[in-house]
Amino acid sequence: MKNLAIGFLVALFLFEGAKAAGPSGQEIIAAVDGARNPGQSFRVMDVLTEYVNGKPQASNQLVIFVRQNKTTKQYDNLVRYVLPVRDAGKMVLMNGSNMWFYDPSSKASVRISPQQRLLGQASNGDVATVNLAKDYTATLVGEEKLLDADRQNRDCYHLDLKAASDEAVYSHIEFWVEKGSYRQIKGKFYSDSGRLLKIAYYHKFTQMLGRMSPAETIVIDAVNQNLVTTMAVSDMQSRDVPDSWFQRDYLPRLKID
Amino acid sequence: MKTRVFALALMGSVLPAAAQENSDLNLIPGAVQDAPPPPTSVAGHGKYSLENALGWYSYRGSFAVSPGGSIPSRWANRTSLDGLDQWTLAPDLTFTASDRLSVSFANGIGFPNESVRNDIREAYLTYEAAPQTYLEAGRINVRYGVAYGYNPTDFFRARTSVAQSSADPSAQRLNRLGTVMIRGQHFFDGGAVELLYAPKLHSPVAMGTLAGPFDPKIDQTNGSDRALAAFSFELEQLSPQLLVYYEGGRTKFGLNLSRPIGAQVIAYASWSGGMAPNTAVDAITFGKRTRMLPPTAPVLPPTSLSRDFKNDLSAGATWTGEDKVTVTAEYNFRQAGFSQDDWHNWFANGVNPSLSSLMWFVRGYSSDLQQPMSRHQAFVRADWAEPFHIEHADVNAFVMTNLADGSSIGQFAVSYDLSDYWSLGAYAGASTGGKKSEWGSLRNAGSVLVQIARYF
Repeated sequence: MKNLAIGFLVALFLFEGAKAAGPSGQEIIAAVDGARNPGQSFRVMDVLTEYVNGKPQASNQLVIFVRQNKTTKQYDNLVRYVLPVRDAGKMVLMNGSNMWFYDPSSKASVRISPQQRLLGQASNGDVATVNLAKDYTATLVGEEKLLDADRQNRDCYHLDLKAASDEAVYSHIEFWVEKGSYRQIKGKFYSDSGRLLKIAYYHKFTQMLGRMSPAETIVIDAVNQNLVTTMAVSDMQSRDVPDSWFQRDYLPRLKID
Repeated sequence: MKTRVFALALMGSVLPAAAQENSDLNLIPGAVQDAPPPPTSVAGHGKYSLENALGWYSYRGSFAVSPGGSIPSRWANRTSLDGLDQWTLAPDLTFTASDRLSVSFANGIGFPNESVRNDIREAYLTYEAAPQTYLEAGRINVRYGVAYGYNPTDFFRARTSVAQSSADPSAQRLNRLGTVMIRGQHFFDGGAVELLYAPKLHSPVAMGTLAGPFDPKIDQTNGSDRALAAFSFELEQLSPQLLVYYEGGRTKFGLNLSRPIGAQVIAYASWSGGMAPNTAVDAITFGKRTRMLPPTAPVLPPTSLSRDFKNDLSAGATWTGEDKVTVTAEYNFRQAGFSQDDWHNWFANGVNPSLSSLMWFVRGYSSDLQQPMSRHQAFVRADWAEPFHIEHADVNAFVMTNLADGSSIGQFAVSYDLSDYWSLGAYAGASTGGKKSEWGSLRNAGSVLVQIARYF
């Protein structure tokens, strides 16, 4: 029994020592942001393909303008639907808690809540471009081996993120981040009630505006697991995106070229 | 034992993930790996559709105030070709056009004058005169307001309705005629200023006048000189918008506010105020001006003939739950609208056969202006996206209730997108209430419409 107690204490010491020697959860998540988010405003094309029961069913083509908010340090998005034709010209403005949906048929902008933002395809941008370190407090759960989307083994940090600001869209996120490269490998996104909403796999890391970013993110709808959406980003271009664009009245003026 | 504990401790730094984590990969379809690469460039698209809507209608048989005329057709079919597009004429110059051509068939509808209708919703030029500064000229659909059931600051809504299937007020706004105007707008960080002028181009014509199939209906949208100034800015997440509106000697002021409350709720309010007469006075004046009513027509139901400051207000909130259900509850106040005493007088005068058409004229006028007839009403709308996990499906319903007499009008609708190009929709509408209530006194009792649309 005495040996067991000594062994436990030594084990605890070694475990804590191993944790203390490595980066903290907050340092890791800041490194993830640094490795992924371009330090400039940009325009990118995003093709979302829905798979229902394993078969591709529908596709959305979006053009997204992104800039980092000087005040909040968060990423603000302007999303314009290009395809399908039914939705062509519709737009979503995401500027912190200031979110609006615009329909060119009505020329009207409707204010939406963060929860409504999660209803549309544009919400999948949430799992792509966010300043995690700003909105979440990260805790290192441990280090784990995990298969990535291409079933390659990755040595990962397992992080637990809790919302630290009202701007955070999800109250709780789990992330697996590859050691060394600080690339996101997997994420799990939870609602306020603790319900698992989305599982995301990040892969096909490609050089974009000087950073290695995932060219494709696979999002599994955890509520309806027959639904999987892929987000393929391409044609990322550095673009001046003025502050004046991020307001309700500007939405009808946004051009994609 | 000691060895096992040490082994466990050492594993603490690099533990294999739980098998459950890797099993999530089994949820990714094989087709994802086989998908072609995304396109490398993007081009803008216009929005074109062809839709067909077939409807059946039921009517009440007895009335407190007879609506007169013959019973309308119990069925109708409408086919519409719809287009919305934008062309770049020069780097700083674009042209936008939006049009709907409809052909309707029903019992008693004559072809082509009554069955063919073309609505030029928009046709205007936009010139970017300087960075963030835009000048526009042409027929433009402008809308101001944050409410859903009734928008007091939606000053350009009057007489703009276009043939469509849904009776939902939010759908009505999706599809309406623009107004011929010149407009300037300038943006700055966090706000925008806007000025517009819509000239009188035609004397207003009587309600219900049968326009030619391709008449642009300028008389409906440009029957008086109008001007508007708007100023939007950011303040404490309220996104205020201040408006000043002028029309034919009347000035109105407007204010729109909206604010998120937590992650699930948007609260909003829309107010307008200005010197105005009561609805009955306004309607009778319009009727005399357009010679729909004789110069001697009395103002009925009896009301004050004076103009005083009248307020319009809509206040409400939208809540969205985790199950993709969105509910909006809204209160509408229109000071110029009918009080309960006005309704009592409307029914009392309407029983006189010589006055019933005058009574319905007052209501028809208010309907044409898309404004509430009553002083107090409630609007509730619920929307459920992807009900029962059915992808691309949507279920929604709305109810508009006269808070004084409890009568209501509402609609239940379902829609389903068969593919990127085909959509199905069905709408069931009804009005309820006693014979001597706002909605129960209507001839229309219920309707069912089915619609199919092809986008291209």
